[in-house]
Amino acid sequence: MSPRFATRSAYGIVTLAMITGLSTAAFSSTDTPDLSQETLLSGLEDPWDMAFLPDGTMFFTEKCLGLSVRDADGDVNHLLGMEDSDGYASTADDLMCSGQAGMNGVAIDPDFDDNRYVYVYSASNMSSPITNRVLRLTVNEDFTEVSDRTDIVDDIPFKPEATDHPFGDAGAHNGGRIRFGPEDGYLYVPTGDNHNSELPQSPDSLGGKVLRIDRAGEAAEDNDPPAGFDPRIYTYGHRNVQGLTFHPETNQPIVTEHGPWHSDEVNALVNGGNSGWDPRPNMSGRGDCPDNYCGYEPNQNEGMSPKERAAYMPLTDTTVYPNAMTPAWQNNGLSQGINGTDFLTGEQWRGWDGRMAIGFMGIGFGDTAVGQRINLIDLHETGEAVNDVAEMHVPMGPARFRSLVQGPDGNLYAAVDEGNIYRIIPE
Amino acid sequence: MKKLLIAVTTALTMSAANAEEPDAAAGEALYADSCAQCHGPEGKGMASFPSVAGRDSDYIASRLEQYRDGEKVGSNSGLMIPNAADLSDEDIANLATYISSEFQ
Repeated sequence: MSPRFATRSAYGIVTLAMITGLSTAAFSSTDTPDLSQETLLSGLEDPWDMAFLPDGTMFFTEKCLGLSVRDADGDVNHLLGMEDSDGYASTADDLMCSGQAGMNGVAIDPDFDDNRYVYVYSASNMSSPITNRVLRLTVNEDFTEVSDRTDIVDDIPFKPEATDHPFGDAGAHNGGRIRFGPEDGYLYVPTGDNHNSELPQSPDSLGGKVLRIDRAGEAAEDNDPPAGFDPRIYTYGHRNVQGLTFHPETNQPIVTEHGPWHSDEVNALVNGGNSGWDPRPNMSGRGDCPDNYCGYEPNQNEGMSPKERAAYMPLTDTTVYPNAMTPAWQNNGLSQGINGTDFLTGEQWRGWDGRMAIGFMGIGFGDTAVGQRINLIDLHETGEAVNDVAEMHVPMGPARFRSLVQGPDGNLYAAVDEGNIYRIIPE
Repeated sequence: MKKLLIAVTTALTMSAANAEEPDAAAGEALYADSCAQCHGPEGKGMASFPSVAGRDSDYIASRLEQYRDGEKVGSNSGLMIPNAADLSDEDIANLATYISSEFQ
């Protein structure tokens, strides 16, 4: 291609974009890579999260088993097991799983080379009532053991018993993804509302929040929640945040949040912000609700128009909370199990470079399509809108996409509930 | 007339055979289309969705009939009731046969 042709072609695209009012980014999505895949691990039991070292070493969690590590050659060492697990170098009998809860997120300390710290989020029955904890562990030099467990957070609420709600078993709405901010070095910890309507707007409870803490579990110095809130709280008013990543240019934390039978959300977080979830009964035009939680109302067990649901029980209630953070995207008003997310960066992704990949596990409720897929969001620079949404058609086909992480090799890694971790390679 | 009689007899025979012998292949197709997304490709369950492995056909059939009748059984009834609403007796028999024989 001659330089002259290239110039004219680019000019043509820009001109057309101006005429139609579309951004050039929308056009760049047509220049997409072919994808191939490799199965990194299979036969896993509910793999939940992964975290990578620069050489490709991958820590991963299985919800009811524990923490393991796969080295760059493919060998796996099982490091920390939960109750009733076998074959782990050590076992912590207080770590337990129930429903959606168990060992969830994993993160590696930014100074791992010096301190050998790795962190996991897990339910624990060490205290009563059961809570979720963030554990800091020290990994030995040959990646065969962890030691010096320190619970840097031990008071994230856990849903203790079943209630009359969809997915209403104990352990529901448990949050659990954890990630270090690439710029500030703090650990971000999203939590869930436990089907307890009091938690999201509560100043004291850590449920329905995103926490921001240092490696000792102390509040980040510049957290800015409202007066009287626990200082570890970075944002509040969340329902169940299970996806977390950071914008590759601005480093702004961005989360995905499960919607209440409608409107899964992507939210770019603002320090001290309210995400506007408040499912308490007898307010905002609502009456009594099953077990005092309106989070699937109205008609929580029967399909109905997601728009009607959104009017009755919004995920972001701007009427009650006019200053609530503005969602960037609401999944076209549908709830389909939004979960792990990460940005694709690097020229290998061609037109998808800079897009946010979002995994959906799929929920087929009412007339809503199950929707198992990976979407690619071109996020608007304000973080309050999207320029374009595409779909990544991955070779393995639909699955319950639980965790998405771009590895140090620039490929995308996907953990699916079916028990596999895939490497998705752009070509 | 003779041809018609043969056709009717054949149809009745096939119908009786279908009623007596559930079609596991049809159950497999239905499972892949409507069940595997939550219960998993091997029936082991995923996330908070329960395993169906090791269940006998009577158990599977009776549960599906309960959900089809709109009866609440467990915390995922909201998902199961609409999923089972349009199942025929034959669909349920096919699913029960496939699940109980394939996922031991």
